[in-house]
Amino acid sequence: MIVIGVWETLARTGLIPAAFIGQPSKFLPLLVDGILSGKIAVAALDTLSATLMAFVLGGILALATALMLAVYPTLKELIDPYIDAMNALPRVALVPLFIVWFGLGTLSKVVSGVSLMYFILLYNTLAGAQSVDPDHLQLARSLGLPRRQVFLRVVIPTAIPSIFVGLRLGLVYTLLGVVTAELIAGGKGLGSLISYYSNTFDADGVFAVLLVLIVLADALSMVMTRVERWLTRWNR
Amino acid sequence: MSPGAEGTAGILIENVVHSYRATGKSLTVLDRISLSIKRGEFVALVGPSGCGKTTLLDILSGLVELQRGRVMVGHSPPAVGRPDTARMFARDALLPWRTAYANVDFAMATRNPDRERRRVVIHELLDDVGLNGFENAYPRQLSQGMRQRVALARTFSLESDFVFLDEPFGALDAQTKLVLQDKLLRLWEKMQSTVVLVSHDLAEAVALADRVVVMSARPGRIAADIAIDLPRPRCRRRWRAPPRTMPSKKRSCLTATGSAGTGCSSCSGGSFCW
Repeated sequence: MIVIGVWETLARTGLIPAAFIGQPSKFLPLLVDGILSGKIAVAALDTLSATLMAFVLGGILALATALMLAVYPTLKELIDPYIDAMNALPRVALVPLFIVWFGLGTLSKVVSGVSLMYFILLYNTLAGAQSVDPDHLQLARSLGLPRRQVFLRVVIPTAIPSIFVGLRLGLVYTLLGVVTAELIAGGKGLGSLISYYSNTFDADGVFAVLLVLIVLADALSMVMTRVERWLTRWNR
Repeated sequence: MSPGAEGTAGILIENVVHSYRATGKSLTVLDRISLSIKRGEFVALVGPSGCGKTTLLDILSGLVELQRGRVMVGHSPPAVGRPDTARMFARDALLPWRTAYANVDFAMATRNPDRERRRVVIHELLDDVGLNGFENAYPRQLSQGMRQRVALARTFSLESDFVFLDEPFGALDAQTKLVLQDKLLRLWEKMQSTVVLVSHDLAEAVALADRVVVMSARPGRIAADIAIDLPRPRCRRRWRAPPRTMPSKKRSCLTATGSAGTGCSSCSGGSFCW
């Protein structure tokens, strides 16, 4: 409330031109209008569906890779530098390439999301698997547990909390990756709306969509936290 | 293996030499150790830190490979995961995502596929160590002493003939230690297993074991092998002070101290104290 009040005052008095920062009394009605007309919902749904696809796809790929690297440590040493190098690439710069490779449709958005999700979850899972308590391994050894069992019943449970940190972070970043692709590629999503409004110098429109994005990201993050709390209930 | 000898052989350690390679230099930790432990005997290994007692225990449980000498546990050389041996560590090593019950079950399931039987045994064991009602508690919700009790129950859930304990109560406060030592004695009496206990607490060793084997510092050698012919069943909590009158079997019951006897059913009846 205070933020909105200050914001409104700044815009009204012209201390900062409304054309730069928008004006709550203008973009809030615009937002309501967008919600009521279903325009926001259509765009949000488009963005969300691409986000979920990227999240699931990137998640599966990352977990599969992590599993493989944890089972074959030599392989990990071999490809670690490449993973680091790929992760260092700025994804925004890759989006135009994704568009060339995968077209203007949903696929390039999903790939953009995957490119963020994959690395975030991969790093977190590997870090989690490496934090196994040596005491637990010693115990498993003294019990004569076979390697596969040790992996399933000691290593994976140990990694669960960091896997969830990765999933939660990854979900929000996937959304950002998808929106970034939309900003560049256009289409029907929220990013395209932002791009449309900012190209027509409509700061109110941009802020209206950004608000929607904030709410979405928060909601996604909240859902993940709930699931995480339930699965790691032993941790409290 | 001689016929009919099944289940009667103890532990045989002959001329065991063990050294570690550390920064290029070879460090001998065990120097010609020979020791023979009878079936069902409770032996305590004591000595200063670095005297190789844990290494010896590691060799017995198969966690460390034998370098020189001969070791027989029962009728075969030591191996990791042998169903007739159990190992307890100085730290509880409980899996934090499993409840007390599930932690014991984690170990017992590796030896016993019968879920129903496991359920009965585990409940009984948790009861034995005084954790009745805490079956569904996660390690985080338990005190250190309680976690070590779970570890004790886990060790004995394996129903092994040979039990190797590595300073199981080292990290506990004096009072909790006494309580758990009693629990250990009761479990040992019940299971009749052969126990090798590594300890740096001489009072603990004397109070619990049939024999105390004293090792000297690096390289580890056996300095003394003392039979403790105190009568059994013993009750640790009655002996608040290390028994000074030990060698003479003179018993004078100077207990009646505070918590003595509580929760230790066998004390009130036939046990001895001095």
